[in-house]
Amino acid sequence: MPDITLIKDFFSRGIEENMHSLYAIALRLTRNAADAEDLVADCVIKAWSAIQSLEDKSRFRPWMFRILHNCFISNYRKKSVRPTELTYCEECGDDADDDIASLLIEQPNEFLCWWANPERELTNQLLGEDISVAIDALPEVFRITVSLISVEGLSYDEAAEVLEVSPGTIRSRMNRGRTLLQKALWQHAKDAGLIKDVAMMECKSYE
Amino acid sequence: MSDKSNIPEITDSDCLAAMDHLYAYLNGELKDKEKHALVEHHLGHCKSCFSRAEMERQINSRLKASGVKEMPETLQKRLRGILDKF
Repeated sequence: MPDITLIKDFFSRGIEENMHSLYAIALRLTRNAADAEDLVADCVIKAWSAIQSLEDKSRFRPWMFRILHNCFISNYRKKSVRPTELTYCEECGDDADDDIASLLIEQPNEFLCWWANPERELTNQLLGEDISVAIDALPEVFRITVSLISVEGLSYDEAAEVLEVSPGTIRSRMNRGRTLLQKALWQHAKDAGLIKDVAMMECKSYE
Repeated sequence: MSDKSNIPEITDSDCLAAMDHLYAYLNGELKDKEKHALVEHHLGHCKSCFSRAEMERQINSRLKASGVKEMPETLQKRLRGILDKF
């Protein structure tokens, strides 16, 4: 039987090291600062009560994210603020065989023209806040997947462990989530007048 | 199976095949050596996909930076209070 003091030290150290990431993900999930704080606190209490179930100590980080995600689903999902979310077809959005072609079919021609002729410098003109708003507008499954991998740096296997799905599903969600993110950024840049007409002109030359 | 004939003729099938693996490639998750080589070769020859990959790299950097949230001191104190009670 391991010494309870050692377990407590390990747990406290793990929480100290990961509390900022837990809060960042909680904020992405709830999109509300007060709920995010409560969610992290609930998650820490729940995790301590389940600490004996953590068999591999090196998996502490994904294990904590999984508990956070499950707490969110059980207690917070229904009341989470829902800003205008991008259109998402449940039936076609979570298939491990989903490829880029099937995602592009759903997009308007104007976006596809830009997609085929991207302006690299556009990203420099977007503010961090623009990217944050674009992530928050993603449907939940993509928001959490993109946040875990692209923001928190989890591997596909770790993200699959957190969300209790296959790595293939994570790959599919990344493809779709990042394509939707591109579309949201494109729309924002278009509204702000940052998109040049070059893309459309080059696109017409293909017709 | 998707009907690729519906996509406007702006992107050829080589581009679509490379783009299918682009995010896994950029995230260091494309473990299949053959597919990895295919993406690298395509990015070296296709200006459009190279630009797209560069943009995705930039977005990756911006996303990483967006994750650094200032955590409220009240929450830090609350969590330490919880840990002290265990």
